[in-house]
Amino acid sequence: MQLLEVRGLEKRYPTFTLDRVSFSLEPGYIMGFIGRNGAGKTTTMKAMLNLIHRDGGQVFIDGRSFFDHERECKGQIGFVMGEFDCYKNATLKRITEVTRRFYPGWDQGVYEGYLRRFALEEEKKVKALSAGMRVKYALALALSHNARLLVLDEPTSGLDPVSRDDLLDVFRTIIEDGTRSILFSTHIISDLEKCADYITYIKGGRILSSTDVLSFRESYRLVSGSREHLEMRRPKLIGCKEHAFGFTGLIRAQDEAAFAACRIAPADLESIMIYTEQEDGHEESSL
Amino acid sequence: MKSLLYKEYKLCLVPMVPLFYLFALMLLIPSYPYQVAAFFTCNSIFYLLKQASLNGDTLYSAMLPVSKAEVVKARVRFVVIIQMIMFLLLIPMILLNHRLFPGGNPAGVDGSVTLLAFVLVVFTVFNAVCLPGFYREEAKIDRLFLFSVIGVFGWIILSEGFMIAAGAARDLAPFFAWVESHLDCYPATDGAWGAQLAALAVGALVYGAGTGLTARRAADIFQRVDL
Repeated sequence: MQLLEVRGLEKRYPTFTLDRVSFSLEPGYIMGFIGRNGAGKTTTMKAMLNLIHRDGGQVFIDGRSFFDHERECKGQIGFVMGEFDCYKNATLKRITEVTRRFYPGWDQGVYEGYLRRFALEEEKKVKALSAGMRVKYALALALSHNARLLVLDEPTSGLDPVSRDDLLDVFRTIIEDGTRSILFSTHIISDLEKCADYITYIKGGRILSSTDVLSFRESYRLVSGSREHLEMRRPKLIGCKEHAFGFTGLIRAQDEAAFAACRIAPADLESIMIYTEQEDGHEESSL
Repeated sequence: MKSLLYKEYKLCLVPMVPLFYLFALMLLIPSYPYQVAAFFTCNSIFYLLKQASLNGDTLYSAMLPVSKAEVVKARVRFVVIIQMIMFLLLIPMILLNHRLFPGGNPAGVDGSVTLLAFVLVVFTVFNAVCLPGFYREEAKIDRLFLFSVIGVFGWIILSEGFMIAAGAARDLAPFFAWVESHLDCYPATDGAWGAQLAALAVGALVYGAGTGLTARRAADIFQRVDL
């Protein structure tokens, strides 16, 4: 059974539409949720959790409709939206004392372990924490109640590289037992390369792809060649950057034969994202 | 619900709430529109809402394993608790007021059971204006408070004015004489007790039904709000 299933989620704003977003995640995996700023990542996550009013669609947590069993489903989810930005004059101790009462599965030992791991001091007030430490506190709260699903909106933003790496280790440890999963959005693609099993890519409010990382990468190729190569093949390029000596671009794997005369290389996640976002208009760059 | 109320107490309560209970002492002023004391409790609730908004309390609460409707219900219950504490504090103040000023209050309704009924209406008006609006757009809490001040003082001026007018016109019509002798006095006779307890029952009904409807309306609004 899927731990998370999003079916046809819709949200209409005057200038933006979340268009029938669907994807699913099995227990025991990490899914990276990627897309440009304003693509709909946060809107999707908030709509999933009823923080914004959806115009259509369903969300199932472990087979149960989220909107019919909101309280039970929320109890199984740890949600982090960037840094903890509430009650700036309250101490972490006070906030935790309140928060843990809501979670029957709260594990104080695990929480204290994360405090030590993240070097958080409970007596400090929220306003005394740096942005990175606030993210860590939000994560400590989300990770300490035995949530089966972690929904994390840019959890690594604001963290230094060492903390990010440590956090990615935490993520891998969390899913080790095969019962829990993590959905996290990020702009730091290298984080996904390190730990994501699945990728869901959203563009302009629509899901472009939701598949395992290997298949996702395998479905694209990076090509580079001269300007002569480019002219004949431009329609098959998803996106490209032209320079004085030729071009570099992204193609679909099935179009590889058409670029036999060019240099072809496996595509990395960052390149796929960068070139896909150019799909509506190729970008010129000059040396 | 208990956990949400605990959250309200530990993370949302502002010092103005207990501090503004001191305005119950206004009943020791010899001549004053005593309902204003209740307004200060509303004022402290405004500070609570304002601080909750600045603290990101709504988003924090909505992310907890509770429904959005429960978040609103808990907040309304907390507001009711704050108001009921003021209501209870006014009772000994009314007894003291009667001891100190047995001649009554020339500036409006006497310190009496009727005053308690009027205070419940003050709370009802404040809740009806401020709470649903807060959940529609909490950033506009200042404007909502202004509207609630207009509503609350509209009621205070109307009700206190009526009592003053009834006192002045008691010789002109039996109805005004009845109001003056039964509602606008500390209950010294059986008839006054009955009339004033009936007024309190009406006030309680208005408060219960009004605040109940307010809670439902606020919850409906909050369901549709995008956080």
